[in-house]
Amino acid sequence: MSADHFLEVRGLKKYFDVGHATLFSRQPRNLHAVDGVDLTLRHSEVIALVGESGCGKSTLALLLMGLEDPTEGIVTLEGRDITHLDDHQRKDLRRKIQMVFQDPYESLNPTQTIEEIVTEPLAVHGIANTPDRDQRVKKAMEDAGLKPAEVYLKRYPHELSGGQRQRVVIAAALVLEPEIILADEPVSMLDVSIRAEIINLLAELRITRQIAVIFITHDLGSVGFFADRVAVMYLGRIVEIGTMLEVLEKPQHPYTRALISVIPVPNPRLRHERIILQGETPNPIDLPSGCRFHPRCPVAFATCKVSDPRLIPLSKTHQAACLLLVK
Amino acid sequence: MEAQMTTTTTAPRFQEFWRVFRNNYMGLVGFMMLVVAIIVAILAPVLSPYDPSSTLNVTTTDIYNPPSAAHWLGTDDAGQDVLTNFIFGARVSLTIGFFAAFISLVIGGVLGIIAGFYGGRTEELIMRFTDIMLVIPDLPLMMVVIALTKPSIFNIILVIGLLYWTTTARMVRSQTLAVKSRKFVLRARAIGSSKRHIIRRHILPLVLPILVVQAVLVVSSAVLAESTLSFLGLGDPTALSWGQMLNYAFGRGAMSTGAWWALVVPGFGIVWVVLGLTLLGQGLEQVLNPRLDTHHLMPGRPVVRNEANEDAEKSTGKSPLLEVRNLSIHYVNNGKPPARAVENISFNLQEGELIGLVGESGCGKTTLMLSLLRLLPSAGQIVNGRVLFNGRDLTALTEDELNSVRWSGISIVFQGAMNALNPVRTVGEQIAEAIIKHLPGFPKENLSARVVELLDLVGIAADHKDHFPHQYSGGMRQRAMIAMALACNPQVIVADEPTTALDVMIQAQILELLDRLRKKLGLAIIFVTHDLGVVAEMCDKVLVMYGGVTAEYADVDVIYNNPKHPYTQELLKAFPDLTKPKKKLSSIPGYPPRLDALPAGCRFAPRCPAAFKRCHTDPPSLHKLGDGHIASCHLLEASS
Repeated sequence: MSADHFLEVRGLKKYFDVGHATLFSRQPRNLHAVDGVDLTLRHSEVIALVGESGCGKSTLALLLMGLEDPTEGIVTLEGRDITHLDDHQRKDLRRKIQMVFQDPYESLNPTQTIEEIVTEPLAVHGIANTPDRDQRVKKAMEDAGLKPAEVYLKRYPHELSGGQRQRVVIAAALVLEPEIILADEPVSMLDVSIRAEIINLLAELRITRQIAVIFITHDLGSVGFFADRVAVMYLGRIVEIGTMLEVLEKPQHPYTRALISVIPVPNPRLRHERIILQGETPNPIDLPSGCRFHPRCPVAFATCKVSDPRLIPLSKTHQAACLLLVK
Repeated sequence: MEAQMTTTTTAPRFQEFWRVFRNNYMGLVGFMMLVVAIIVAILAPVLSPYDPSSTLNVTTTDIYNPPSAAHWLGTDDAGQDVLTNFIFGARVSLTIGFFAAFISLVIGGVLGIIAGFYGGRTEELIMRFTDIMLVIPDLPLMMVVIALTKPSIFNIILVIGLLYWTTTARMVRSQTLAVKSRKFVLRARAIGSSKRHIIRRHILPLVLPILVVQAVLVVSSAVLAESTLSFLGLGDPTALSWGQMLNYAFGRGAMSTGAWWALVVPGFGIVWVVLGLTLLGQGLEQVLNPRLDTHHLMPGRPVVRNEANEDAEKSTGKSPLLEVRNLSIHYVNNGKPPARAVENISFNLQEGELIGLVGESGCGKTTLMLSLLRLLPSAGQIVNGRVLFNGRDLTALTEDELNSVRWSGISIVFQGAMNALNPVRTVGEQIAEAIIKHLPGFPKENLSARVVELLDLVGIAADHKDHFPHQYSGGMRQRAMIAMALACNPQVIVADEPTTALDVMIQAQILELLDRLRKKLGLAIIFVTHDLGVVAEMCDKVLVMYGGVTAEYADVDVIYNNPKHPYTQELLKAFPDLTKPKKKLSSIPGYPPRLDALPAGCRFAPRCPAAFKRCHTDPPSLHKLGDGHIASCHLLEASS
């Protein structure tokens, strides 16, 4: 299992130039969206990438998709460097990694029919004229839970509900038979009753199609159920990573603890003390000194202001970056 | 294959367009006017009584003859039939108009899309060039160019075409920018689409509607421009356009001889075409740009009760702050049976109490909430029930009386309102504005202090008062909206999905804030949400709605630990519970019913795992299960 390095991210950084501090200063200012991320994804594994907005999780997804170029670091897929590719190689790669976006109301072109939307990836990759085209489109749609496919083919996005639209987005990703799906907050815009449906669908796909999933979300509660591992991000870095049970039941980083404590529990008898962090994630331009979390950390001590903790191994699979864990 | 696909799908799209356009009278009248003009131009040889090129039998006595049986619209300075020239003039004017517009649209469209899509230096270059073209006055430039070249039809078309593209380019560019930033374009890139593919399949279809509207308006400016040029004597002398007719008539004494017909007739032609095109353009814009549709919250229709089943039961104990009794709301639907959006909803709210209003999208939550203050969209109508606030029936008040309750008695934090703050005014100003609007007599000198006080109440530091909304984070904007809702010291706050679209941590902060406010100010809160977890954290009572009716209404503990309605039970199963990890979530198959196509029996029956035959035919009544617990399900008949 340890040798399985399907998708590997090493020291990945992405800084955005946001101009100069003042009109006359020469010092360029950078937004540190992703600031040194290491991550390994195994075949047909589900990793949940959790964090608040502004923690860099969406930028990380765009980097993995090759929709942004990294400032530093590399991404390899099955040992091959995929960070520096020409357009042609990049296009080939796209068939292996597909993305599902947050807002199913925005991510479908309103002037296209469902058939056009699901067929488009095939057309883009020049495989739309093969005899099995219709078969592939139909299979992708039915695998995404749009059954029977014929009912939906001629419809437009506005005729579908939010859950159905998200299924269309998933079908359009499946039609290229990818090996990895990057799902960026795929359920946060949907009603709770529909969320389970989409999560179960993704969980099924990893079994039926051996697809690895990187599930990006701000809500730990929604992923506990099917993720193998959970990585918690804060200000451009992973601050805790471990198996789902390790992170949910024995969280070690104070940030993870706070995130878990605010997940609503659907039982009024279990109302509990919540660790509510004040303020919001600081802006990733002027980073706090020392541990990036110290200004909001309920258990911070003096050293936290000066010393920046690295990820500390706690078990074979569990790591967290907190000075309290340094022995 | 692709071409085939497009042809099969454009037909319904066009039909859809036509269905809407048919009802747009302005557009339709404009379209008819234009069609008439085009038919006249095409059938000119058939329609005109004389041959326009013939000067046979013209004598000096024929000059400027008034309308007669032989010449219906009189004759002109050359003794020719004005009607004939008018009909043939349509050909010249329209040809020039359409061709010039075509050229300018192609130039403007291509430049606009390139500038918008590629951005950077390309955009800079194109847009600066466009700006320069825009400041050069068209008419003098056209005059110079035409005067220097030979004034032929071809040259006129070219000059108008080359000068009239600037507005098109700017409009197309901004539309392209808007479309480019939409998520489906990012998705197309993620698929691996080339830039050309994205422009052709994703940008163009969404720019096209704007281009069509612009086309119509450009044709009309081109027709006008040609008329102006011709009138100034710069038209093609061999082609008699309407402008040319005016020029000749004006230059050759039509005014002094009183030959009004020689001037009025071509003028009428120009006005007819330009008016027709303008109307058509306006109509098309309304149809193709749905944002212009008026859909505002309006003081609703008068309350008309048409159901008599009023529940006479009096509530026991102390009378509640807000009591909703048997409230039903319909959306009237142009002759079709009304959509029964909300039916027979009752609940009550004590001071300091928090009630959760739970249900999926489209189940009538928002309608119910808006109806409390009669803020329904214009089609909405309260058809039964009462809303008692401090014992006063809000459904029986006049608009003026209701205004005194709105905001100062009950106020609403609208869903998504935090994204609707005015971006060019500071948050403090906007809160001050809300205070003045609802309390006109508020002393000006206390205003600033009051704004600070309100911000403090919601946990925003005073120095953020003068910041603009973009300097606020999502959570702070939501706090500002709550501050605004508190402006007039209301007793009840309705919060419509106040934490949806916020991160969990910010969500927890907002929930904590609302909880604190109700303890501190004794506020009663109606919390509208689809998220059962949030409700469990802080509500006292829960009303679960489905398809516009009460599914279940009970204390929060009963809802979570002893739910009786299958819908509540299914909703709970769909909710992830971290205390039970690895449990597979179940989802409720299917979707909520459409309010204009409700099932005959129980509204939940089509999705209910426990449904039996009767559920599909009879709507269940509300069963009282004791201790304020109410549920509407046939299965509970025996237990009530």
